[in-house]
Amino acid sequence: MTRDELKEYIAGHFEGRLKPLESGRYALLYEVSAADLTEIAQALRDDSKLNLNFLCNIAAIDASDHFEAVYSVASLTGNHRLDFKVILPHDNPEIESTQEIWPAANWYEREMWELYGINILKHDNLTRFLLPDEWNQGHPMRKDWDAPDFVRFPELER
Amino acid sequence: MSKLKTQEFMVNMGPHHPSTHGVCRLMLTLDGEKVVKIVPVIGYLHRAIEKICENRTYAQCIPLLDRFEYVTSMSCEYVFADAVEKLAAIEVPERAQYLRVIMLELNRIASHLIFFGTTVMDIGALTPFLYGLRERELIMDLFEMTCGQRLTYNYITIGGVSHDIPPEFIPKCREAVKIIREKLKDYEGLFNENPIWLARTKNIGVLSAETAVAYGVSGPILRASGIKYDIRKNEPYGIYDRFDFNIPTYTHGDAYDRYMVRLDEIRESLKIITQALDGLPEGDIRKKVNPFTFKPPAGEIYNRIENSRGEMGVYLVSDGTTKPTRLKLRGGSYNHLQVLPHVAVGGLVADLVAIFATFDIIMPEVDR
Amino acid sequence: MILASVELIGVFRWLYGLLVELGLEEPWLSVVIYGLLSVTIFGVLCLIALFLVWWERKIAGHMQQRFGPMRNGWHGWYQTVMDALKLLQKEDIRVDTRDRAVFFWAPVICFVAAFLAYIVIPFGDGLIVADLNIGILYVIAITTFTVISLLMAGWGSNNKYALLGGMRSAAQVVSYEVPMVASILTVIVFSGSLSMVDISNSQQGNFIFNWFIFRPPFGIIAFLTYITAATAEANRTPFDIPEAEQELVAGYNIEYSGMKFAMFFLAEFVNMFTVSAIATTLFLGGWHGPLLPSWLWFIIKTLAIVLLLMIFRWTFPRLRVDQLMEFAWKFLVPLTFANLILAGWMKYAGWYW
Repeated sequence: MTRDELKEYIAGHFEGRLKPLESGRYALLYEVSAADLTEIAQALRDDSKLNLNFLCNIAAIDASDHFEAVYSVASLTGNHRLDFKVILPHDNPEIESTQEIWPAANWYEREMWELYGINILKHDNLTRFLLPDEWNQGHPMRKDWDAPDFVRFPELER
Repeated sequence: MSKLKTQEFMVNMGPHHPSTHGVCRLMLTLDGEKVVKIVPVIGYLHRAIEKICENRTYAQCIPLLDRFEYVTSMSCEYVFADAVEKLAAIEVPERAQYLRVIMLELNRIASHLIFFGTTVMDIGALTPFLYGLRERELIMDLFEMTCGQRLTYNYITIGGVSHDIPPEFIPKCREAVKIIREKLKDYEGLFNENPIWLARTKNIGVLSAETAVAYGVSGPILRASGIKYDIRKNEPYGIYDRFDFNIPTYTHGDAYDRYMVRLDEIRESLKIITQALDGLPEGDIRKKVNPFTFKPPAGEIYNRIENSRGEMGVYLVSDGTTKPTRLKLRGGSYNHLQVLPHVAVGGLVADLVAIFATFDIIMPEVDR
Repeated sequence: MILASVELIGVFRWLYGLLVELGLEEPWLSVVIYGLLSVTIFGVLCLIALFLVWWERKIAGHMQQRFGPMRNGWHGWYQTVMDALKLLQKEDIRVDTRDRAVFFWAPVICFVAAFLAYIVIPFGDGLIVADLNIGILYVIAITTFTVISLLMAGWGSNNKYALLGGMRSAAQVVSYEVPMVASILTVIVFSGSLSMVDISNSQQGNFIFNWFIFRPPFGIIAFLTYITAATAEANRTPFDIPEAEQELVAGYNIEYSGMKFAMFFLAEFVNMFTVSAIATTLFLGGWHGPLLPSWLWFIIKTLAIVLLLMIFRWTFPRLRVDQLMEFAWKFLVPLTFANLILAGWMKYAGWYW
């Protein structure tokens, strides 16, 4: 499916639930509400035309005032790809696990939980992972995280 | 005779173990020799590359990204530079495009040669490891000749490549292609029909296509499981749509197929290199970009390429300043290590070693 | 013959005569002579083991497109001597959780068992410590002692990798003992004696064609099965699963360091020399051969077998533990027994010899 066909198909079948965003380049980027996530993910994977069965990546982003979780999914049969984004509040961010839909999500969500402090609901194994087991200095990938020995470089604006 | 009491026992395989290729730790539960449970423990090589990159300019990120997956550093540089160029809509000169393809494919061959060496070494044949490294040396020499580095190149930069190739590069490269093509026959003569090798790899660690797709397995391992999917063909990046090459695919998804896919891929890469050398145009090698003040417009992009270890991706978010807001790296090994327990449980410890070796997991890619 | 005159046997005859002249009487005469003899054998074997380590490294190096040791002397000839000195000086690290007695005695037993076999191995014409009439049986019995030491090392180290290695080696050695003995029995059927000297002597004459390896088909089959089983006995690739480096790190000797490790290491090479020496005695005519002195023939033949084992090691991948057992019990054991029965039957019928 080409990019335009995909855009049209999404607009036709997921009207309103997948809101197109302009900031995405190169691949289509949509916004999904946190409540709808698992439902839409399931639909995207099971739709026979879309068949987005391959989870490439989940990236968490700290946008200072809110968190985002970006899911990049691809279809190995239909040869197309899209990204969708879930926007989460900065305090007490919570998201439902998609590991039932894409088992690959397990570790990505675990990483998200560990480094960003985004709570993953219905996840089977939320344990320390990249960081040491005895880590107690918060979530290091957050923008406001500051460890005692962490030095920020001065802004290089010229 | 009264029944003997037996019990399962735990073994820590790693972080310092010869066959876990770096610092992976697998917590094994064994029933005699049989593997009952595997829990991968990672993070021993976590260098927070993603966090450090958030505090660096785009050009400063590249030397750091070399360390993301140091066996194929060119791919790490390329995937990032390509993402930035797509964000900022930079046209890369034709010659640079060709040079990039040559380097990427040479690096893929180097990586697969290491794979060949370490895999046969893990299965017990120590000598071919040196043979693999000997051929890799030819490629390392080419890289050294071009950019002065042998492992972390800092070669592919935003807008092009950092150095032009010296005049003696092309004949040397053609010669290397010829030698590697010849030596491949030797490798295959040593192992493809070797009964011990077949006994150790055939039907070992079978990864079904469904599991592979569900766990995001990509690259040679996915193709060994019977799914013909190569990002170079299915979603061509750079100038890969200009070259004629096949995607080697096998059906069983066992250790032997994973090994064969990679050997075949070396041949295909050699084909691409030959075509790229033939078509190499003259011209600029770089579009000048000021490394200090370069600011791509705000936006976000997930860019992915086919690396020797599967899909390598980068999620790049720019807010219009000189530094990336977020740089998320995705390496193939991350998913492969995740699927390892599903493949290796039920086999013997020796099978686990064979599976780990043919998955070709390297830890910097997992831990970042 | 100049070479023959330096043979040890002459030295000992002269020494014996000297001691008798000095008026030394039994039993002290035997004590002194056997004491000197054992020291000599021990020294020679240590030298051989050191040489084999160096030789293995050179062969590995040249097979792998490199040189191997090059620094100490001509082509690094005293490299292993320096290594041994280094290992002697090293701290002997002992894990706290070890089983003290077992941990201590394992390398000792391994070392002693490896050397004991040389009591009955004829290095040349008359160059034998004691020509026991059950010679080959004695060798089989004593070399199996090694497995006890490996099990002890595995258990005593209180390390899971070591335990796995010890268990693997026990399973392996016990399995491969059966085809090995069956192929040795074929030779005993040919020669009609268990004595190592008699076995050698029955292969005398007719240039080299009286060697048991040249008795097709039984001799050659027995030789090949013996070499296969011997490779497994000596724990070498493709049957080196007890110390499979990539699986068990180092197997049974993982917790050993310093001289204790060196004892295992040297014993391994002495064992390799033992199985080659037995192969020489049983199949390649022992010390018999034209032109050259007997001890030189013996050394040449044995080193040829050692070379074969070394080339195996640096060429083949490793078998898996269950495949190893399958190979022993489902292929080697039936083959060697069929070979033995047919050879015995033909000998009985008198068709052949």
